[in-house]
Amino acid sequence: MNFDDLKNEWNAENPEGNNISTDMLKIKQAHTPIDKIRAKMKHEFFYQLFFLVFMAFIPYLAGFSTAINQVYLMTYAITCGFTAYYFFKFYLFYKNSYDMSMDSRKNILWFYYEMKLNVELYKALTYIVAFIAVGFLFAYLFIEQASVFARLLKKLSTAYILINCFVTILVIGAITELWAWFYYGKYLKQVKKVVDELDYE
Amino acid sequence: MKETENIFLTLINQHRAIIHKITKMYMNGAEEQRDLFQEIVLQLWKAYPTFRGNSKFTTWMYRVCLNTALIYFKKDSRKVDKMPLDENIDIIDVNESEVKEEKLAYLYAAVQELNVVEKALIFLFLENQSHREIAENMGISEVNARVKLNRTKEKLQSIIKKNGYEF
Repeated sequence: MNFDDLKNEWNAENPEGNNISTDMLKIKQAHTPIDKIRAKMKHEFFYQLFFLVFMAFIPYLAGFSTAINQVYLMTYAITCGFTAYYFFKFYLFYKNSYDMSMDSRKNILWFYYEMKLNVELYKALTYIVAFIAVGFLFAYLFIEQASVFARLLKKLSTAYILINCFVTILVIGAITELWAWFYYGKYLKQVKKVVDELDYE
Repeated sequence: MKETENIFLTLINQHRAIIHKITKMYMNGAEEQRDLFQEIVLQLWKAYPTFRGNSKFTTWMYRVCLNTALIYFKKDSRKVDKMPLDENIDIIDVNESEVKEEKLAYLYAAVQELNVVEKALIFLFLENQSHREIAENMGISEVNARVKLNRTKEKLQSIIKKNGYEF
């Protein structure tokens, strides 16, 4: 196989095709992995916003006592605060433009770490919200001593409750990791593969 | 804005063969090639403000096109058609131009079995880029570029041979 001949033929080839028109410049949706992650995060933003609004009505729907209502409002405010902070971070990620004219290694590493950072932020927010919810559940059980759940809790041994807490944390961790992997991990994996191929000597 | 758009369109239309060749190297089907073509044009347009004329337009264009192709994933997992081209093609009776076209067709079919980085290396090599230029575009050392390119050429040769074609 003569690569010089091939090169000459390659350079002689002049694929014609239609002229590129202004219409092609009007497309807004790009398809890089980072754009896909951004689009998914945008969807999630609306779901979470809906969830936060729904949470505001829970005290009215559940008929909480005054004491538990105060605890609920506190946890709700903390959840809103954390969510707002992380949403601001995601907004910066969403708006942050990328420079495709860097050399390939720099460009791909930028994509990889930007995506990884934001997926980790996403996981951190999920952990925080999940633990706040678990915290509220415990507060509910201790305050509402007369509730069915609290009475049930009293019948259980301390060891059993501790094991359950441990398992709950493990389940939250597993669900968060799996969800992040299922939702965003595939893009990270694909970009990481290109990084590894570039770095392989 | 309109003037910038016109200048940009004139420039990429002059060099649109680069985009066509990259899409043919990175995607197998016509529809996927069209999608990648569109994505490259979009990324070129988005990146155009970064082109300050310090380097040749084509140098800048190679980078944006290849970077887009390297991280472009249309499907969740890109399955490559590894079927060799029809082995019964009669290459004796065809004229020289058809032989050339066929050579390139075999080349495009064979490169589908390379990974995305290897495709970039072969593309830059075929575009007459030196080892130093390849290294600069890819962001790797010159020695690494040479080693990788040689390995890729060997791999490409064996794929073409395996597919029952020799040139």
